[in-house]
Amino acid sequence: MKRSFFGFIKPKLTYEPITDSQPEPVYIQAPQKIRFLLDTPEASDGVPALSVGDQVKMGQRIRADADGGDYALASKAGKVTEIAPFIGMMQAKQTAVTVAVDAEASQTADDEFKEKSQNPSLDVARQFLQALPGKPDFSPFFNSDRLIKAIVILGLDRDLLSTTNQFFVKTGIESIKTGIDILRKITGIHNVMLAVPESLVQVAGASGAGVKTVDSEYPAAHPQLIVRHVMADEIKGGGDAGNADVAFFSAEAVSAMGAAFNTGQLPMNKLVTLISKSGNKRLVCATIGTPLKDILNRFNETIQDGDRIVFGGPMTGVAVYTTEHPIQPDTDTIMIQDRSQIPERQDVACINCGECVRVCPVNIPVNILVRLLAADQYEEAVSQAELDACIECGLCDYVCEARIPIFQYITLAKTTLERMKAEESNA
Amino acid sequence: MPEPIKLTVSHAPFWHNGSQVFFKNYHILLATLLAVIPGLLKYGAPALSVVTLSIASAMIWELIMNYLTRRPISIGDGNAALLGMLFAMMLPATTPWWVVVVGTFFTIVVGKEIYGGLGGNPFHPAVLATAILMLSWGSYFDFNEALVNYQFDFNPVYPLALAKSFGTGAVEGFNSLDLLLGRQVGGIGTSCMLGLIIGGGYLMLRGYIRWEIAVSFMVGMFVTAFCFHQANPEVYASGSFHLLTGYSLFGAFYLATEDSSSPVNFIPMLIYGALGGFLAVLIRNIGTHIDGVVFAILVINIVNPIIDKIRPKTLRKVANYA
Repeated sequence: MKRSFFGFIKPKLTYEPITDSQPEPVYIQAPQKIRFLLDTPEASDGVPALSVGDQVKMGQRIRADADGGDYALASKAGKVTEIAPFIGMMQAKQTAVTVAVDAEASQTADDEFKEKSQNPSLDVARQFLQALPGKPDFSPFFNSDRLIKAIVILGLDRDLLSTTNQFFVKTGIESIKTGIDILRKITGIHNVMLAVPESLVQVAGASGAGVKTVDSEYPAAHPQLIVRHVMADEIKGGGDAGNADVAFFSAEAVSAMGAAFNTGQLPMNKLVTLISKSGNKRLVCATIGTPLKDILNRFNETIQDGDRIVFGGPMTGVAVYTTEHPIQPDTDTIMIQDRSQIPERQDVACINCGECVRVCPVNIPVNILVRLLAADQYEEAVSQAELDACIECGLCDYVCEARIPIFQYITLAKTTLERMKAEESNA
Repeated sequence: MPEPIKLTVSHAPFWHNGSQVFFKNYHILLATLLAVIPGLLKYGAPALSVVTLSIASAMIWELIMNYLTRRPISIGDGNAALLGMLFAMMLPATTPWWVVVVGTFFTIVVGKEIYGGLGGNPFHPAVLATAILMLSWGSYFDFNEALVNYQFDFNPVYPLALAKSFGTGAVEGFNSLDLLLGRQVGGIGTSCMLGLIIGGGYLMLRGYIRWEIAVSFMVGMFVTAFCFHQANPEVYASGSFHLLTGYSLFGAFYLATEDSSSPVNFIPMLIYGALGGFLAVLIRNIGTHIDGVVFAILVINIVNPIIDKIRPKTLRKVANYA
């Protein structure tokens, strides 16, 4: 984690390999209260999809806006007790829906998916499965600008320390195989690849998909880099590159998808790698929507003022501000940092040491970029410093000697530009 | 309901490799001691007073500028002290106090603070100050004159001045070992070449200075001097002589490698360093100045932004993946 003694050696951050001694995941008891975060703000036209006091069934889709948009799947049946606006990363407008869970005996399931699952199709998948554990994203298949030529299943974890997806490859290759067969059937794409770290190549062979080995050095598992290094032939083959593209699914999503279509039941348990203050790693299996504090109580983790809780890994995660924060479909990792472990940040000018430039996996001139961003010149940052090529791995920030929050500058610039663009197209 | 816990919230990444500006400056400062201490032993108390005055006045100038520009107090990061040290290292031991204070004024105020402080300076601040002083009060940089009252057990003539005026024949008395061990006159911290090499080597190994620049500077210098020497061995001294005299190694390790005024990409670093070495020998051999290192580094500082445009192609995204 620290800088190497010999400065000319680049810092090497390696992904956590799953070990043979990996203990079984710990199951967290069904929570009393579940909560879902939806990416859409509450209905502006006054037609909410749900209101407080409504009864939801297990597996029912929960929306903030009756017209559509992002949905969550109720992981337990219960009664809606609260619908409130929620401010996410970079002031994203979200909605938080809280459900008081019914007693185990009176749990009722929603049958809508069960009927439709008889005829698996992409439409059904998009309507019901986007909020499965692992958060499968079917939108690339509905984007007419892009021609999906291959599907890559990530049998590895995007961020450091996490072993969530590797666990699925290691222990559940059969269910991944089922998922792959269904994916092939509903998308008609036969070129499916399973990307795994070196240690899992043997196991991955049983999936029936092509196996690609991905380097253990961060950020090799980033989809952009996998496309570039591992899939170069697949997407360029045939000469009609242009809009040729790849769709990505996590191993967890694929196995959940397989289970969903096979049984007609929607899997609702999310596997999470929990990293305690002392660095202990545990796999935890919890119902989606479980508040974080239920998990912390289970392991007697004490949290004090000034500590930091990160959803996602150490490089790309998101720090949350309350222990009420729920487990979401894409929460692969939860990291808890003691306040003494939090590195100090500064806001000084770039000293031009060039560490960031040499560490950047896509060769962005970060030293130029950070000057433009600090001066709020976002459009110039795109035209002169390749802001749009950034894959958001966080390495520049990690090595910054002046301790500038470079990654935060980048995120802020990107969201600002996106919002400007959205406003222009609305106007 | 109990008071909710106040968690720390910040943007990713949540780890840092631990490096800091402070560490870098203090490491460089410590490495310079390897060359400064032999200088202090050789020149005695006057040298010590120059070094301490230079460091102290540099820090005071920085503090004054911090107050004037209403910016956070930055003398704690060690950069002002380091610049004061580097400036003092280039001076003869008998430099009058007011030259030191004026020099650190140019170093800190004109060389660094008016550009916005650390990281904003287009030139190495100490090089800029030295160049200004050399052009304004050149006689204080005449090592023969400045050190005339010292008794040395070696040839007390500044080797570069001798080579410039009388050709290679006059410097045959200097052997490389003596030069390496600092048995020559020169700046307080620039004449003990062994100290510079050990200090510079340590810094390169630890990554506090970029080895690409230092190495290419020395190679550029050696190759250019070697070509001159081959063309006319009687007039132009050999490559090793040039490397081991004047500000050569000091320039390679401590001046050319300054972060803000040097390139960050690999190929530009090599061009930058080699160009510096080449120009330094060119100025020494056919220019009017005795030592060209200071001016050569000013020139490469100017071209740095242009050379640094040579960079590897950015890998564009194929599409956006969440």
